[in-house]
Amino acid sequence: MSLIRAERRRFIKRRMTLWMFVIGVVILGAVTAGLAMTHHKPTPAVVAAAQAEADRVYQQEMRNWEQYKAACQAQAGPEAELKCQGPQRDWFTAENFMPPQFDFKHQYGDILIIWAAIISMVGFVLGATFVGAEWSSGSMMNLLTWRPKRMNVLGTKLGVLLGWMTAVGVGTFALWTAGLYAVGKISGNTNGMTSGTWQSFGLAGVRGVAMILAFSALGFGLASLGRHTALALGVAIAVVIVGQIGLGIVLNLANVQFAESYLIPVHMYAWLNKQVVLQDFSGMVRCTPTGCDSPPEMVVSYTHSGPVALGILLVVLAAAFWAMRRRDVA
Amino acid sequence: MVPSMTSVLEITGLKKTYRARGGPRRALDGFDMYVEAGQVHGFLGPNGSGKTTTLRTLLGLIRADGGQMRVLGHVVPDALPEVVAHVGAIVESPQFFGNFSARDTLSLLADAGDLPQSRVDWAFELVGLRDRAHERVKTYSLGMKQRLAVASALLKQPKLLILDEPANGLDPGGIREMREMMATLSAGGMTVVLSSHILSEIQIICDNVTIISLGKRVAAGPVSEVVAAYSTGQVRIGLETPADVAAAAQVLTGAGIQYQQHPDHLVASGVDKPALLSRLLAGRDLFVSELTPVGVDLESVFLELTGTAPVPGQHRSVDDSVRVS
Repeated sequence: MSLIRAERRRFIKRRMTLWMFVIGVVILGAVTAGLAMTHHKPTPAVVAAAQAEADRVYQQEMRNWEQYKAACQAQAGPEAELKCQGPQRDWFTAENFMPPQFDFKHQYGDILIIWAAIISMVGFVLGATFVGAEWSSGSMMNLLTWRPKRMNVLGTKLGVLLGWMTAVGVGTFALWTAGLYAVGKISGNTNGMTSGTWQSFGLAGVRGVAMILAFSALGFGLASLGRHTALALGVAIAVVIVGQIGLGIVLNLANVQFAESYLIPVHMYAWLNKQVVLQDFSGMVRCTPTGCDSPPEMVVSYTHSGPVALGILLVVLAAAFWAMRRRDVA
Repeated sequence: MVPSMTSVLEITGLKKTYRARGGPRRALDGFDMYVEAGQVHGFLGPNGSGKTTTLRTLLGLIRADGGQMRVLGHVVPDALPEVVAHVGAIVESPQFFGNFSARDTLSLLADAGDLPQSRVDWAFELVGLRDRAHERVKTYSLGMKQRLAVASALLKQPKLLILDEPANGLDPGGIREMREMMATLSAGGMTVVLSSHILSEIQIICDNVTIISLGKRVAAGPVSEVVAAYSTGQVRIGLETPADVAAAAQVLTGAGIQYQQHPDHLVASGVDKPALLSRLLAGRDLFVSELTPVGVDLESVFLELTGTAPVPGQHRSVDDSVRVS
């Protein structure tokens, strides 16, 4: 217990912890504020203003049409009635002139990845620095002269990291949800929320927290394996630049079908929303007077993405613990 | 020397070979070391001789390839978790997380070791850092970091204190304080193993010494005995007038005594009883003004045993000798 207490204190005493937490919350706050400012609640005044604008534009279009009507009818001849109809009143409804409103129920799931991705990044960096800085500063060696059971030391550090990140994940999820609910109330609507919807949001949040913990443990494992924070950050940069941006370009150049299925963000989105449906528009799509055939589709499911991610994480952690047990501390 | 019932530290036949680019390097080659309870024991060796490897192996940081180690009667590293609470150690340069204050650093270690927080103030007081304890470690000078490292080792109030170069970075006053602190700790029953390159300090502070070279023990025992074992029995002979030096040299030659002649004095070798020289020369009306045994200090013994005395025109390489062929 004493080691757990020490590691808990060590985690929150680090400036990096405070700064990363503040940065994460500020980004989420900025996104929430941005959503609030770019969406508006359909108040009677807003509806009236939109209706007035719709009317004004309709009148403007009618005046324009009156100038062009004679020329159109002369040119169309017998088909003038069909071809020269002019603007219709029902084209200019108030809805088309209203600012967007935030639909909490329908938009919440789509933007949940913003919260999950930002806090996952925070978790990755904190996980990597928590153990990486210990190694590079020599504090780990010092600690091992006090607590020589290496597996216990590394396991305790990982446990403390995951414990704190669970708290951070749950806390920021609550803040994010409350913030978006407030945006819905202030700048949109929260219609249609049932206990089932809340439950669904909650389960998505649980998956989001799991994703945050996975990224935190991944950063921890990589930094522990390399005994330096830089290794984890280097791997992350390499994966993003080479493994994602570069891979995406190559796959597109090679016209690989469903190239997006190789990109990590797609799987993150699938994990949070249970699935992502990819459509391939690269081939011919057959159309008939009654409509067009759907393009080929691929469903990326969280039941496939999750186990693969878990497998990669377990391999990294197993290697980190094995190295901790076997390698000399020199 | 053989281990006794009061041995606090016993190392027998310790071996360690590092895999490295350019082939394996043997750091320890059957090294032995014994430290009795209550001793201040000097652990000496040139760079790359295996000192730090020995200490790290003892603390479980490095896995040995062979040999046995016992600390406070327990076989380590197996029993290290049981015995580590009684062993305070700093290995090589002091290493701490720079952004924490010194107080936080020791406080976290106290938590990790399940020690009362009151020990932290006690340790700061002991090493003279009480007034600077709230400052970040990265603002500390090397000497202050060294004091903090010693404080961290003392935090456990250990039975065995292992200090690797504790005087590194300390000013002369700090070195003296460190010496006095070790004397106090030793008087209180603590056993101290002290690795240092300041051999004059070791000679003053330590009761016993172990010298390591190329991964092997080359000398061990009480400091006075180690020094005496390598004493050459040299005596410096000064005469009333320098003109008598040549005549005195002839007398020594006649008596079969080896000597070195200098402009104003002679240095005779292999002399057990200096008084005999005085009698011999006085018998020829040559009167000595100085008859002084030439002392051998620990530094000269160390340089001789480890073969690290500087040779004009040669540059010594610290690692060439330990490469495994």
